[in-house]
Amino acid sequence: MLNMNNISRIYQSDTIQTHALRDFSLRVNEGEFVAVTGPSGSGKSTFLNVAGLLDNFDRGQYELDGVSVQGLKDDELSRLRNEKIGFIFQNYNLIPDYSIFDNVDMPLRYRGFSASERKRRVEQALEKVGLASRFKYLPSQLSGGQQQRVAIARALAGEPKILLADEPTGNLDSLMARQVMEILHNLNNDGATIIMVTHDPDQAREVNRNVQVIDGQLADFKIYAPLGRSSEVKSKTISEAASAAVAEEVENA
Amino acid sequence: MPNDSMFFYNLTLAMQSFKRAPTLYFLIILTLSIGVGVMCANLALVNSMASDPIPEKSANLFHINMNTWPDDQPPDEPMHILRYRDAMAVTKSNLTKGSAVFYASGVYARDAESSSMKRFDSEVRATTPGFFELTNAPFAYGSAFENSTGMEIVIGDELNQKIFAGKNSVGKTLELDGELLTIVGVLKPWLLRPLFYHPTEGRAFNLTDDIFAPLETAIDLGWSIHARSSSAVNYTGIEETRDKDVYYLQAWVELADINQKPALQSYLDNYSQQLKDAGEHPLAIKNELHNVNEWLKVNKVVDQKVLAFTLASVLFLSVCIFNASSLLLSRFHAAKFEVGLRRAIGASNRHMLVQGLTESVLLGFFTGVVALVLSWLFLKLSVQFLPRLANIAVLEPKLLVLGMLLALVTSIASALYPIYRANCYSISAELK
Amino acid sequence: MNIKALLKSLLLRKFTTGLLILQLSITLGLLINSVILALDTNNKLSQETGLDIENTLIVSLRPTSGEYRNLDYYRSIVSEDLHQLSKLSGVEGVSLVNQLPINKNGMLGNFYDLDDPEIIRKDKYLRDVKFFISNENLGNTLALALLEGRYLTKDDQRDFGGNEPGNIIITNSLKKALYGDDSALGQETNNGRIVGVVKDIMLDPTIPVDKQYGVFDNRSMEFIFTGRFYLLRVTPGQVETVRNKVTDTILAVQAERDIYRIITMAEHMKRFYRHDKGLAELFLLLCGLMLFVTAISSYAYSQFHISRQKKYIGIRRALGARKKDILLYVLTENWLVYSLGCTLGLMMALGFNILLSQYISLSKPDIMLFIFASVVIFIAGTVATLIPAIKTSNIPPVIATRTV
Repeated sequence: MLNMNNISRIYQSDTIQTHALRDFSLRVNEGEFVAVTGPSGSGKSTFLNVAGLLDNFDRGQYELDGVSVQGLKDDELSRLRNEKIGFIFQNYNLIPDYSIFDNVDMPLRYRGFSASERKRRVEQALEKVGLASRFKYLPSQLSGGQQQRVAIARALAGEPKILLADEPTGNLDSLMARQVMEILHNLNNDGATIIMVTHDPDQAREVNRNVQVIDGQLADFKIYAPLGRSSEVKSKTISEAASAAVAEEVENA
Repeated sequence: MPNDSMFFYNLTLAMQSFKRAPTLYFLIILTLSIGVGVMCANLALVNSMASDPIPEKSANLFHINMNTWPDDQPPDEPMHILRYRDAMAVTKSNLTKGSAVFYASGVYARDAESSSMKRFDSEVRATTPGFFELTNAPFAYGSAFENSTGMEIVIGDELNQKIFAGKNSVGKTLELDGELLTIVGVLKPWLLRPLFYHPTEGRAFNLTDDIFAPLETAIDLGWSIHARSSSAVNYTGIEETRDKDVYYLQAWVELADINQKPALQSYLDNYSQQLKDAGEHPLAIKNELHNVNEWLKVNKVVDQKVLAFTLASVLFLSVCIFNASSLLLSRFHAAKFEVGLRRAIGASNRHMLVQGLTESVLLGFFTGVVALVLSWLFLKLSVQFLPRLANIAVLEPKLLVLGMLLALVTSIASALYPIYRANCYSISAELK
Repeated sequence: MNIKALLKSLLLRKFTTGLLILQLSITLGLLINSVILALDTNNKLSQETGLDIENTLIVSLRPTSGEYRNLDYYRSIVSEDLHQLSKLSGVEGVSLVNQLPINKNGMLGNFYDLDDPEIIRKDKYLRDVKFFISNENLGNTLALALLEGRYLTKDDQRDFGGNEPGNIIITNSLKKALYGDDSALGQETNNGRIVGVVKDIMLDPTIPVDKQYGVFDNRSMEFIFTGRFYLLRVTPGQVETVRNKVTDTILAVQAERDIYRIITMAEHMKRFYRHDKGLAELFLLLCGLMLFVTAISSYAYSQFHISRQKKYIGIRRALGARKKDILLYVLTENWLVYSLGCTLGLMMALGFNILLSQYISLSKPDIMLFIFASVVIFIAGTVATLIPAIKTSNIPPVIATRTV
């Protein structure tokens, strides 16, 4: 699914070269839930940016879902982000003056779907995170956890191949964090490939593969759960799996 | 020298702020000063045109319109030009403190004793002697002529400069169209804006006359009428007009007490009624008395084109204010981190407000300086475009003050909302 | 708390957007009306005068010495002037006249057929007919187009001081006013007998074209002191050569004259309209300044929004928007503002037009002008915001993962 080989990312300032990633190699298979941990400044954010095609890299090869991304034009990268990747950010990154519906709808517009198709997908995605009834709300009218669920819905609506989550529970209290994590686990159980950057060792332990980044390199990895389960659900897209997690919706105080 | 006061601290901050975003502040000052400059130039024109040229007695001087046209087809009703006998009747009223009856003419003048044959084109006011006292004409040398007859004249400063290099020329003789007249008085530089005693025919911003000659003398010499005249009969020269229905004289009277106006009105109405009773005219009794400011208003001395342009300048100024406001808004937005920081370390809302106002006052000051230069430029420019404004395009001291105030007001006005906004940014949002 | 913050953010945007829309609409309003003024003035200057304005020279002069009070002396000098001027090469005709066409007011009088004096009650323009005191050469010099009858001749000059009516020619509109389609030849009027009718020339541009009433007689020698203008008909291309010789020629005859203007009829017409033109130019100048200021505003507005939206643009990019999507997004937002500005500007233009027409006369705005002005605003605005828009589209998607 995701295959990084000897990736280097160097930030150049006037005097100093910083190797944010150095000869970084990682292979993520379809259906895996990978937690990326590491001290701050270790390069895990850079890794996520490179993986999500938000940032480019200086050396190495990166193949995403069978597409080799080096040398692609900006527009082609945009297209890949739009079709293959779903982002979940630490601070949700919802557009504040857009309604929930419009927020989820936004990436679909860039995809060029028809209005009816977009409506169907937005409703479906919101349904899965349990916020279908609130599509008219503005982000500021929701709790942090609900906002993050909207962000998840937005990531799911495009039916991506892989979900990239950057500290998805970083801004949430533990109860809400729990809900979000459950959604992610359910998605994974239904076959979604997820890469999550986190600093919470408990969360890292819950997932089937933990990767640690130190000084821009892969330090170690441990397997907490057997691999290979996902190969059977190849044909399924991840968004079809989310619903279960929101069964016990907790009303926001 | 460093100074501890908050004011100087704020001033320093404002200067720092200007230095930090020089292009932006340059644009703000530029747009605001263009707006204020255009506005100020316009106000200078309107101010010159709308001012009272003789404030000490403008309420007591009355221009007389009469309705004595001999048939039922008068050119105007009533007319602002009178025939000789009607005008003389006005001067005979004992209600008035003084009166002036005159017409405008023109001659070529030279010093009779000079060897040079160069003659100067001179505007002439052929008038009764009461004119000088009525208009408060300022004498530099000599005095007014005493009678409406006699070969005596009073000349203006400009002609005296041209012919006699500004020296006391009383007693000298001028040759005017072949006639010799003696100078009995020389005026000081005399600016009347507007030229209230003759604002008709678009002359409101002409200069005062070069030569003031006795009315009867000018008529006898046949000096032609250089202003509007209307005639119900044929005539060849002005010397025949005393007993004909030729309308060309303007009459002003001065009342010691404006409460006498009704008495004067009925005096004129009586006169008209007598004429009508004698079958000399078929018209309604309709005589009008306008004081100086009323008469200027009737004649629309404030140029309509300038008024139209003033309207456009007002719109332009508002656009400039809007522009400065949005520029300031983006500046303050960019500085919101700093605002947050200052608030966090204990600056009160009031402190920030004062700081913002200090900045905008300083901005207004710079704007004012640039604007005054620009308004001078715009005045020159508008005279290029509208040459007839040449004599009124002056920046009086009060206009300079007004321009400065306008700059300050616009600058503060455009900063008000941005300052308010800046103080609304929550401290916590900016400092994480 | 959240709702309050939201409202504030909305108000902020409303405020800046509102300001820009107001500016755009005022600019549009002024632009439209300025162009109207300029077009009006152009139309006035290019209107048909019935005169060969380029090849007619006007010499304005006055004698300066008392000698001229002797009218016989005056006449002899003027006759010699005209004679000498007519001998100049390039001069095809010379005449003198008391007043000029293309002028307001001047020497006016009432005019009626002796059989129908009451007609002046019906047509007020008949009370202000322009009287041209001239000589037999005026028709040739101004190239007046004869419609019926004949030009005036030397024989039409009357004895000085006589009271019997002389022969006159009149303009066609005056003939129509008095006689309709009938012939006017031989008709007796209060100012003489009509011997010819000429095509209208532009006498007073401030009155209707069908009210250009004028009368020409041959009495300038009698009233020699009214002959303030010499008119010269010049061979095309010779205007400057002739103009340079006029002063010397006249002063050589007799030096005590003040020649204060030698201009072509075209220049005279420009002088007549110079204040209209000046005002139109002032307005256009102001328009230029206003466009400049508004362009700065549009630029600042875009900049401001970019600084505020940087993060959101990054999010859009992260979610798959291409650069051109962002460019289009920013430009569309601007175009929406311009459209609103132009719509409001239409009202502004109408309102401003009504306000202005209280002070000056100007035409009503038309739809083509509105479209033209809107296009100018769109182009100026797009140019001003193109750089910020391109900058915006270059915002890297990685902004989205930064937490500030």
